[in-house]
Amino acid sequence: MLAYLAKRLGGLVLVLVVMSFIVFCLQAIIPADPARALAGPSAPVETIERIRAELGLDQPLLVQYGQFMSRLAQGDLGTSIRTRQPIAADVLKYGPASLELIVFAMLLGTSFAFLLAFAQTTMTRSGGVRLGMLAAGSFPIFLTALLLAYFLWFKLGWFPGSGRLDIRRFTGPTGFFVLDGLLLGRPDIALNAIWHLFLPALALSVPIAISVGRSLNSALVDVMRQPYIRTARGKGLSGGRIFFRHGLRNAASAPLAMLGLQVGLLYGNLLIVERIFSWPGLGLYTVQSFGSSDLPAVLGIAMVFGAFYILVTMLVEVLQSVADPRIAL
Amino acid sequence: MTLPATEPEAPVLSIRGLHVRLSRDGRASTVLDGIDFDLAPGEVVALVGESGSGKSTIGLTLQGLLPAEAQPEISGSIRLAGREIVGARPRELRDLRLSLVRAVPQDPMGALNPTMSIGAQLRESGLSADEVLEWLARTGLPNPRRIAADMPHRLSGGQRQRVLIAMSMAAKPRVLIADEPTTALDVTVQAQILTLLRDLAREHNTATLFITHDLAVAAELADRVMVLYGGRVAEVGHTRALIAAPSHPYSAGLLAARFDLDSDRSRQLGTLASEQLRARPSGAHCNYVTRCPLAEAECSERKPDLVRRQDGRQVACFQSNRVPDLLARVREAPSWPEASASEANALELYRIEKSFGPKRGILRPARQTQVLAGIDLRIQQGECVALVGESGSGKSTLLRIAAGLLAPDEGDVSWFGGIPPQVVFQDAVAALTPWLTVGEQIRDRLRPLGLSRHEQDKKIAEALKLVGVDPALQHALPSELSGGQCQRITVARAVVVPPKLLLCDEPISAMDVSLAAQTLNLLGSLRRSMGMAMLFVTHDLAAARLIADRIAVLEKGHLVEVGEADQVISAPQAPYTKMLVGAVPRLGGSQEKLQTFPPRERDQSDALAS
Repeated sequence: MLAYLAKRLGGLVLVLVVMSFIVFCLQAIIPADPARALAGPSAPVETIERIRAELGLDQPLLVQYGQFMSRLAQGDLGTSIRTRQPIAADVLKYGPASLELIVFAMLLGTSFAFLLAFAQTTMTRSGGVRLGMLAAGSFPIFLTALLLAYFLWFKLGWFPGSGRLDIRRFTGPTGFFVLDGLLLGRPDIALNAIWHLFLPALALSVPIAISVGRSLNSALVDVMRQPYIRTARGKGLSGGRIFFRHGLRNAASAPLAMLGLQVGLLYGNLLIVERIFSWPGLGLYTVQSFGSSDLPAVLGIAMVFGAFYILVTMLVEVLQSVADPRIAL
Repeated sequence: MTLPATEPEAPVLSIRGLHVRLSRDGRASTVLDGIDFDLAPGEVVALVGESGSGKSTIGLTLQGLLPAEAQPEISGSIRLAGREIVGARPRELRDLRLSLVRAVPQDPMGALNPTMSIGAQLRESGLSADEVLEWLARTGLPNPRRIAADMPHRLSGGQRQRVLIAMSMAAKPRVLIADEPTTALDVTVQAQILTLLRDLAREHNTATLFITHDLAVAAELADRVMVLYGGRVAEVGHTRALIAAPSHPYSAGLLAARFDLDSDRSRQLGTLASEQLRARPSGAHCNYVTRCPLAEAECSERKPDLVRRQDGRQVACFQSNRVPDLLARVREAPSWPEASASEANALELYRIEKSFGPKRGILRPARQTQVLAGIDLRIQQGECVALVGESGSGKSTLLRIAAGLLAPDEGDVSWFGGIPPQVVFQDAVAALTPWLTVGEQIRDRLRPLGLSRHEQDKKIAEALKLVGVDPALQHALPSELSGGQCQRITVARAVVVPPKLLLCDEPISAMDVSLAAQTLNLLGSLRRSMGMAMLFVTHDLAAARLIADRIAVLEKGHLVEVGEADQVISAPQAPYTKMLVGAVPRLGGSQEKLQTFPPRERDQSDALAS
């Protein structure tokens, strides 16, 4: 287990180094000039040069990369050109909103996946379920998100269409508003936060539900044919007990891996969904950084999500080994 | 039927006119066609028949566990301890499984939930923690406390089967169904498991249905034998009487094909039945008629009833009085073709060593298990050497090294003329590509020779004729052929370009007796007529003795004995060989002969290897 963790953390560092290098190179190729973007289109050349020197952009690329890496080692992701804040501080500020959204999307997605798989395994005619999954899976995420926003917010008004809370200027100790509401003894705030979370989380959960549901279903079909299921039936156990105690756990490995993959790759969808629902998280932050050629910010956020992906994968592997004692880490 | 007068008790199980139809790929077929049968408390009855005879279906029907996707249609009556099973609701069937009828499965490796501890799985059967330990100890498992806490994958096959027997017997069922409980186990473990089953069944007066394709196993265990063919009862009788004088040509065929350590190895095995079309048990005729050497006109016009004779034997055959002549005919089986041997070595293995497992890493010590420890073995041209040993002994690894499929860590492999050998694998169906016709797969070996298409076709037809397959079948896909035909095709593929050396990896272990006998005859004749050397890997000592000139015994990666086949069997030197020889079930054996072997504690590497 210790060897496993050491190996994975080593991998994490390696991936971050490679990723930082790639994103840094992109910065050199893309013809956008952050100094000009910051100074504005009508600024005199001297101002642009001054800003460029301030940001260290007049140094050779290799030197810039070296400086970046040495700062990175001290936990400094650099300074955002757009917000003029340390990027690490921005991550801490906007990260909880995104993480809260991801966790809710994951919970919703897993529940749906479970229901879908259960329906397909138990129903004799599950063609409708399969067709529905196919239809839902064929919708691109921006369309799902827009349709949800249009009907459930704009037309029906059941759920809010933007922001994290109805009240403004709320700050809590953790930044996770559902948790903060509960910690501060304000369940109304927690509920309000969940109410706001619902639409963006739902939009994000659709691809998770479909991919994990399919994976869980095919794993269950296979497991329920295994001889040990017959042994369990031969013992006279009830169908429910056989499904939950003998079936589900043995089928857990593949859908867990799929869940990890989906959550780890959520970043792309997060940009779209946070933009559509004006969710003040890292996705929206990235979109805005792109808009103002804020490459240091994009680089920093990319690294944060790279690390997030590796951590999720690690968590999945630990969970898999808990579910199946034959998998030794 | 009624029970013999010596059985005073009322039957615990009585089956009347049982018909079962199952669907497969949308086509329904009759699997059981009118079974009548009684089972007394404490009685052990062996259900004998080849695959497709419906013997496993009887077991599943009794448990109410026929697969739902097969849309089973059941008619007739099954009364188990006074309760009717046919037409019972799922809830009642569950109650029956909980307490009255239990099963011991065929393959213990897959029959335990891999993510649940042994103890938890036994407690699910309604046992307390103390009872779990008590039952594990009763089935002869060492250190029950450790085993109860263990996960199934850390146990060997024999240990798992003991756990499954404990699981079944602890419920004190009235009827126990043991569906080939030992076929997946090593021969020494087989004997222990049979003894355990018999003792527990006697102690608890549990009626046992013992499903097997092996008459010798039935002979050692059962009070009565019921022979099934194509979903109908062919013959029922007391074990010893039936084996001494079978009255149905199918039973006679099973007995003739059956080989053991006393069989005559100077000639081919007697086989009665041809592996023609698989008979379907419907219609007004004897369903054995297409394979029966005694068939007359009336056999295809009427269905023979199961008739009870004076001596209590029940037979469904019009020609049963001619069966003794048939048995006499079997003893004149053809002799082997003339063999040609020479001094040159077809295969030479020199100090082969092989280990498996992770090598030493930066953060991890080496966890290597030595599988082969310095093996020296030579096979001369035209000679057959059988390599025997239990699972985990390293015999399959050695075969793969001899085939050049696996590189040894140390040592040398050399073939005569440097030509790599051909291999016949255990699972013939899996060894054929499903989407290519068998002819094309044989042609693949002819392509490098630069022959014309016409010459290739001629060679393919010759090879198919050689292995006894109709050359017209070269356009068939493997899925359209029977398992026996597929095995013949793999042999044809191996010999279409005559190899100097043929390696066979347990080619008969998944076969019925009659099919196994035919395959042994084929391989034995081919290697003699073609002058091939052969390495025959098997766990079956009787097969090894029949096919091979010499036997090499492998124990945990060491060759413990190599010698002339008859000598190794009749006067084994190594203690391990003695144990293997002693454990082989023999047809002439009686229940008293079944020895009790001390349960061996098998180490973890054994469990992992198997």
